[in-house]
Amino acid sequence: MHLQLRSMARRFGANLAVDGVDLDVAGGEVLALLGENGAGKSTLMKLLYGVHRPDAGQITIDGRATRIDSPRDAMASGIGMVFQQFSVIPALTVRENLALAHASTPWFTGRGARRATAGLAPLAAIAPEVPMDARVSSLSVGQMQLVELAKALQQDPRLLILDEPTAVLGDDEVRRLWSLIRGFATRGLAVVLITHKLADVTACADRVAVMRRGRVVATGAARDLDANDLLRTMVGERDLAAPSTAPLPADAPTRVWIRDLSARGPGNRIDGVDLRIARGEVLGIAGVSGHGQDVLADACAGVLSPDAGEVIVDGETLFAPRQREPRAGRVAYIPEQPIRNAVAPDLSLALNLHLDRLDTLPAIPDRRRLEADARALLTRFDVRPADPGMAAGRLSGGNLQKLVAARELRGAPALVVASHPTMGLDLAASAFLYHQLFALAQAGSAVLWISEDLDDLLRHAHRIAVLHRGRIAGVVPADQRHRQTIGAWMTGHADAEAA
Amino acid sequence: MSGGTVDRARAMAAPLGRPALAAAAFVVLAAVFFAVIGRNPLAMIGVVLEAAAGDSYAIGESLVRATPILLCALATALPARVGLISVGAEGQFYAGAIAGTGTVLSMLPTPGWTMLPLMLVTGALGGMVWSLVAGLLRTGLQVNETISTLLTNYVAALLVTWLVYGPWKNPASQGWPATVEFPAAARLPALFDSRVHAGLLIGIALAVVLHLVLTRTRWGLVLDVLRSNPRAGLVAGLDFRRNALIVMALGGALAGLAGIAETASIQGRLQSDIAGGAGFSGFLVAWLARNHCLRIIPLSLLVGALLASGDGLQMFAQVPSSVTLVIQGLLFVAVLLVNGWLDRKRPA
Repeated sequence: MHLQLRSMARRFGANLAVDGVDLDVAGGEVLALLGENGAGKSTLMKLLYGVHRPDAGQITIDGRATRIDSPRDAMASGIGMVFQQFSVIPALTVRENLALAHASTPWFTGRGARRATAGLAPLAAIAPEVPMDARVSSLSVGQMQLVELAKALQQDPRLLILDEPTAVLGDDEVRRLWSLIRGFATRGLAVVLITHKLADVTACADRVAVMRRGRVVATGAARDLDANDLLRTMVGERDLAAPSTAPLPADAPTRVWIRDLSARGPGNRIDGVDLRIARGEVLGIAGVSGHGQDVLADACAGVLSPDAGEVIVDGETLFAPRQREPRAGRVAYIPEQPIRNAVAPDLSLALNLHLDRLDTLPAIPDRRRLEADARALLTRFDVRPADPGMAAGRLSGGNLQKLVAARELRGAPALVVASHPTMGLDLAASAFLYHQLFALAQAGSAVLWISEDLDDLLRHAHRIAVLHRGRIAGVVPADQRHRQTIGAWMTGHADAEAA
Repeated sequence: MSGGTVDRARAMAAPLGRPALAAAAFVVLAAVFFAVIGRNPLAMIGVVLEAAAGDSYAIGESLVRATPILLCALATALPARVGLISVGAEGQFYAGAIAGTGTVLSMLPTPGWTMLPLMLVTGALGGMVWSLVAGLLRTGLQVNETISTLLTNYVAALLVTWLVYGPWKNPASQGWPATVEFPAAARLPALFDSRVHAGLLIGIALAVVLHLVLTRTRWGLVLDVLRSNPRAGLVAGLDFRRNALIVMALGGALAGLAGIAETASIQGRLQSDIAGGAGFSGFLVAWLARNHCLRIIPLSLLVGALLASGDGLQMFAQVPSSVTLVIQGLLFVAVLLVNGWLDRKRPA
């Protein structure tokens, strides 16, 4: 397939999301569409997939002008897309999900889908180990994505669009996805990979198109491009100094002691986790998702009552079985999935910024003061739009993440628990958030930082502890030399350290 | 219908407001209904208006019907502020009537000035305890509060029936199942020489106070957070259980107050079916008002007037009074239609 986009444009309100884009994609090549959040990458591809209609522009497929008004049209033209938001149905099994998505399945299938055999081949080809009769809700995020990918492949597309597929994956899963993508290209498919990670580009793209503010600002062969140039093209002339953590003095005193902590959450647990975090230290928690990270974070922030052990901050036990001191001001918590865990979506930004300290407000709060406080914070943390009266649920994912960071990172907490704090943020916003996080560490906070991005952990943390099946498999200084060891611990090979 | 037409209609409707649009839809639906049962719609609507607000007596009866509905609507709106859906106002109404009646009966035959306040307080407590049953089941055992309040309604109603047929039956009333008549000391003061009693003023005052508390205070914000996202409330260290129990208790107290006020001041004795659906009408009013305490006031008056007009319909137009239940139903359908139409998402 040869696809040509010419002068594509789309406006949302006052915002020109896609501003006259020309783009070519050919069969057998992987095009990385690179850019920050809000650069227009997803919108451009949604115009192509018929989710939105363009205000102007022309789509040409194999020399024929093609009109795409709906995803159905797109599929008929041989275009498949995997969205950032999964559309699998968690309550159904993998087999049922695939059967229901398959074109040959009649609408009256109902529970017959349990025994269906149609539409299973793509998943069996790309990931034979995913159990067909497991409920999707029991799969890891990486596996869900493979099911999602298999659904797109059912249509036998000639052009496959993947929207930020690596954002939610762990190291091994990302590598596997890269090789799958290369495989598609070898079979003659055209692949568009939307991403803001340079690693994706170097690993599997043939060509790169960089978008900024709705325009394609550069295109070229992937191997010719210099990483620093690409970065500059992406973000423009803004300062992008890499955030860094200050070296930790050898005699830094322990500030936080997570002592022998055991806790249970839904479908997940931690067992005897014992960690000390020094004053000013950034301790990274690595591990494959689903090994107790969420429980550890909740227990350390006092949200989940532990079965045993305690969290000791500055010598005082804050959280223990049947004991829970208020965390406001002392423990900052950025949980994963802020929209689910940290934000009241139909309430104002001003109120959401005071969510953790409602009990410190006067009995009859002064709304104007709340809003003034909020406006300052919104500006400082670059939440857009900085409108304190707006409902939080109307913010985009990246801005929600910034909103939670603004609330939690503003003071001088003794302990910061940050769970995937940059998920969904673009480069500039991630850099800003890291700056804030590490500035707190430098000012004396102890930081517990949970991430699946091992590169980021290795780059910024002081030490890395690996969580495997709810236990700490080991702790090492954050150094590239320990990468192998960490990888082995993550997959449960505890004895690999000797090798 | 094209998007443009909807937009234009929406723009036209904006200044009129939802209430006017809903009222128009309601009149049309009611007219169709009257036509279907073979009556002249205009004449019938005239009769309804006459019977609801035609003279001071009609207005008084409308206010009498509105009073318990107002309190029961508040009793529904409060739990809804933390996202609890209680349909238990009817049962709490009965529980309040029972508790208050118990106080009155225990103080006979020498009623003093303490009877009225004691009766009102125990009535409110009765409703509170009844509501807390469902509240504790919810916070302790995760029992769905909608189901438990619905079911305990029947228990409370049957408890009243048992009491008035059995232990509390007035021996002098022959076959009629009811308690003895309450003394004058148990009556709330009447307003403007009618059957309307001070409970109406209490209800309106409570609605205003609740509105201020829910929208202006820190506690109101806490409830908003717990309703919007209980999980975020938990992460923020807010206590869902405690606040859920508080709103359930307060809501129950309001419905209990409605129950004992109706018993003492309108009926003058406890008897079966005394709530007459006020709890459920209250639920519907709270829903129409979207749990907004100030909006509950006019809507209660409207629904009360509609129900009161049933008697007039029966007398002047020779239709069964159950027609008013159909009309009440049509009112809700009209509001549903208008809300659904105005709120429907624009096509992408």
